[in-house]
Amino acid sequence: MAKPNQNLRNFCIIAHIDHGKSTIADRIMELTGQVSKRDMEDQLLDSMDIERERGITIKLAPVRMYYTALDGQEYEFNLIDTPGHVDFTYEVSRSLAACEGALLVVDATQGVEAQTLANVYLAIENNLEIVPVINKIDLASARIEETKQEIEDVIGLDAENAPCVSAKEGINIRDILEAVVHAVPPPGGDTEAPLSALIFDSYYDNYKGVILFVRIKDGAVKVGDVIKTFRSERTYEVTEVGAFAPFLQPKETLSAGEVGYIAASIKSIEDVAVGDTVTNALRPAAEPLPGYKSVRPVVFCGIYPLDGSKFLDLKEAILKLKLNDASLTFEPDNSVALGFGFRCGFLGLLHMEIVQERIEREFNLDIITTAPSVSYHVRKTNGEEFFVDNPSHLPPVSEIEYMEEPIVKAEIFTPPDYLGSIMDLCQDKRGVFKDMTYLDTRRVKLEYRLPLNEIVYDFFDELKSRTKGYASFDYEIAGYEKSRLVKLDILLNGEVCDALSTIVHEDRAYARGRMLCENLKDAIPRQLFEVPVQAAIGGKIIARETVKAVRKDVLAKCYGGDITRKKKLLEKQKEGKKRMRKVGTVEVPSEVFMQILKTNKDK
Amino acid sequence: MAGIYIHIPFCKQKCTYCDFTSFPNRLGFAEAYMACLYKEVAERGKMYKGRKFDTVYIGGGTPSIVDPKYIAGLMKQIGNCFTLSPGPEITIEMNPGTVDAHKIAVYKAAGVNRFSVGLQTANDEQLKDLGRIHDTADFVACADLLKGENFSADVMLGIKGQTQEDVKATIDLVHQKGATHVSMYALTPEDGTPIYTDYLNGELPDGDEVASLYDYGRALLKEYGYLRYEVSNFCKTGYGSRHNLNYWKRGEYIGLGVSASSFMDGKRFTNTFDLDEYMKCILSGYFPVIESEDVGEKDAKFEFIMLALRTVFGVSAAAYKKAFGSDWREDFPAYERMKQYFEEEGDVTRIKEEYLYVQNQILTEFME
Repeated sequence: MAKPNQNLRNFCIIAHIDHGKSTIADRIMELTGQVSKRDMEDQLLDSMDIERERGITIKLAPVRMYYTALDGQEYEFNLIDTPGHVDFTYEVSRSLAACEGALLVVDATQGVEAQTLANVYLAIENNLEIVPVINKIDLASARIEETKQEIEDVIGLDAENAPCVSAKEGINIRDILEAVVHAVPPPGGDTEAPLSALIFDSYYDNYKGVILFVRIKDGAVKVGDVIKTFRSERTYEVTEVGAFAPFLQPKETLSAGEVGYIAASIKSIEDVAVGDTVTNALRPAAEPLPGYKSVRPVVFCGIYPLDGSKFLDLKEAILKLKLNDASLTFEPDNSVALGFGFRCGFLGLLHMEIVQERIEREFNLDIITTAPSVSYHVRKTNGEEFFVDNPSHLPPVSEIEYMEEPIVKAEIFTPPDYLGSIMDLCQDKRGVFKDMTYLDTRRVKLEYRLPLNEIVYDFFDELKSRTKGYASFDYEIAGYEKSRLVKLDILLNGEVCDALSTIVHEDRAYARGRMLCENLKDAIPRQLFEVPVQAAIGGKIIARETVKAVRKDVLAKCYGGDITRKKKLLEKQKEGKKRMRKVGTVEVPSEVFMQILKTNKDK
Repeated sequence: MAGIYIHIPFCKQKCTYCDFTSFPNRLGFAEAYMACLYKEVAERGKMYKGRKFDTVYIGGGTPSIVDPKYIAGLMKQIGNCFTLSPGPEITIEMNPGTVDAHKIAVYKAAGVNRFSVGLQTANDEQLKDLGRIHDTADFVACADLLKGENFSADVMLGIKGQTQEDVKATIDLVHQKGATHVSMYALTPEDGTPIYTDYLNGELPDGDEVASLYDYGRALLKEYGYLRYEVSNFCKTGYGSRHNLNYWKRGEYIGLGVSASSFMDGKRFTNTFDLDEYMKCILSGYFPVIESEDVGEKDAKFEFIMLALRTVFGVSAAAYKKAFGSDWREDFPAYERMKQYFEEEGDVTRIKEEYLYVQNQILTEFME
């Protein structure tokens, strides 16, 4: 038995959104000379465009650093940045499994937040040593002592000696590094045991194949080794191993305790999965490492290529994204209105938006997405039970004994001024009031039980607009409840458009049907003929609007000098039409499928 | 059939909707410009020696603003340099605010036999708003001078504040004054023109209102014996514009002068839009062409359909076959599913009357 490098520290950072996690990571890298200040782009770890634009971390990003501590010894640090939003808890739990310690960053002006807690408990479950760090001490409103007290009271961690820093101003950053050296234990494991490495992330490189991000638990791996995973019989020869510096930096060997990457010309994306264990094919480990809890998606939507012939491109994009985002689920789907595509499951609404955006940006594909849905539990009269997340797969009413819908426990934090308005909103969304707590004079916590299917449409937007953005909102799934639900169909020119069907509570069906028809009437461009837009439940029409026939759509003049120009105008008009989908005989703009459920009634 | 188009780029002031190549207050350049134009006529005449042209159209700008001697000179030059078929149609555009008996006499002596008068509306407030330099009385005076002549009047739809009564007053007047032809077209707010601001602010009648005015105007014109032969053009029997019909038949034409476009030998080309550049080129012995495009077969076929369907004469299967050697319905399979919007008569297929004003919806289906 040989111990791994005792000067190695693997840690991650846990923080609420906006408490300064990425900035702290940047300062640490700066201090360890990992990147020169001059070269440094702000928030280096948030390298995805979307992350930078939105100021959030989505993907965990590892980086290796060297630090000479006050005891004179040099330490190797592996820092794994983690996302803060609840939708990405799965990503957090993966990075935790690769670490021995976690920095818990708390904003001295805000105190401990609910979302942080969830991740702290995850870290405790994973036996991680937790090092509290108090940030933003440079701000006038910083309450350092109260924050320390809160950490002790709420989490039960000793915060007496917690580093108090300002990442923005670069104050006391060295204290963090010393705390890592002393509080985070070195990795365990045996460098001479058979290879056993946990895959905590991966992505596809066009030249090197799948790049596996691994934490070596036991043994070592080097170029030329033959490896395999536990899920597949296929073996691969290692072509490159290395560390994150923070960009890929090849090295000779990765051994127990270390975090790094392996490339082995893996072309088949299906062969590897995050959470799986890599071992040596010739001298395999006896059993795989414990993987991750599999996650159940809670929000679903259909994703289709705008151009129907790009289905295979979409498939490849989703497979590659899946490599990089293990929590994404998908299965092929076929819609009468939208053709071939995928039904995808997400951990939450933000996750859904990010995936849609990544498909469009990273793979340069135009897609159509349908309105988000949730997964309903259906019991048929013949005793059969199953989940349905696609409204068009719901069996006929006569065959359904009952249905259950997912309910969430929601926490809303708001200044007291908006209480009335928020309570109206929750009432409107079939919410059941549970509790209200004044956290201080400026902040109230409201607790509600809300049906998830009411949240997935426009709850966030509504909440934001009603509170001028002051309220924040978090939720967790609290189980299923029986509910009177119906399928609401939309008929365009007399034909059901499956991509616009939704499942809705019976009491809300009429209002929703009316709203849908009104929105569609405005969204569908006028065509050569009059288009009736109807909402129906089980064949019974409950609302109707009409898109009038277009009356003027003609080039006013077209003489000798105009012909080329007018032809171009027509081409432009044709381009616009290409962004539409033909549903029967009716042309429907592709964004309608996603946006139609947003109740912008105040317009 | 082939036509000659001449562009006279001068005017007294820009109309608020105008995005044509026209230069107010540069009338001092007329002499130099006309000299260049004569030279271009001579050069193109040499190039197309032996080809026959059937129509001449002098447009602008405001051709009637320049000294009529230049028009006489121009026609003489055209007569010398080009071969015109017997009985050519020769049209000149006129602004009612720039006309007198002398000018008309000179034009007629030069061979002009068709006049196109820009009235737009018989509402003086609206004329002012459009930046027109004339009022209704000027039109009346002009029409009186043209009594008995073959003349057309422009009627505009979609003017700010325009009502059905305004359209009626305008068409009534045109009819009373004996116009043989009416061009009734919708104001198109182009980006960069003053009127575009009105459009952006929603002050102009919307598409539905314009369509209503158009339907009303069309019925009234019909009552007065003006028959629609193209989207925006109406005439007494036998008075269709031969020059314009040639465009819609995808016939050839040579355009001369600044910004003029041509379609000759399968090629579309356009002269520079810059007056100084135009003159420099001509004086240095070059054609001032800035854009030239060989129209490919696919584009050519689409142009044929797009232009023919503007007219009540529609697409002639035989003419199409003669031009391209193929069956137009096979080249445009979209026809099958759009059939309900068409009517057929012998060899001819045309858009049904009620869909002529929404034909872009049909044409875009024909583009693959």
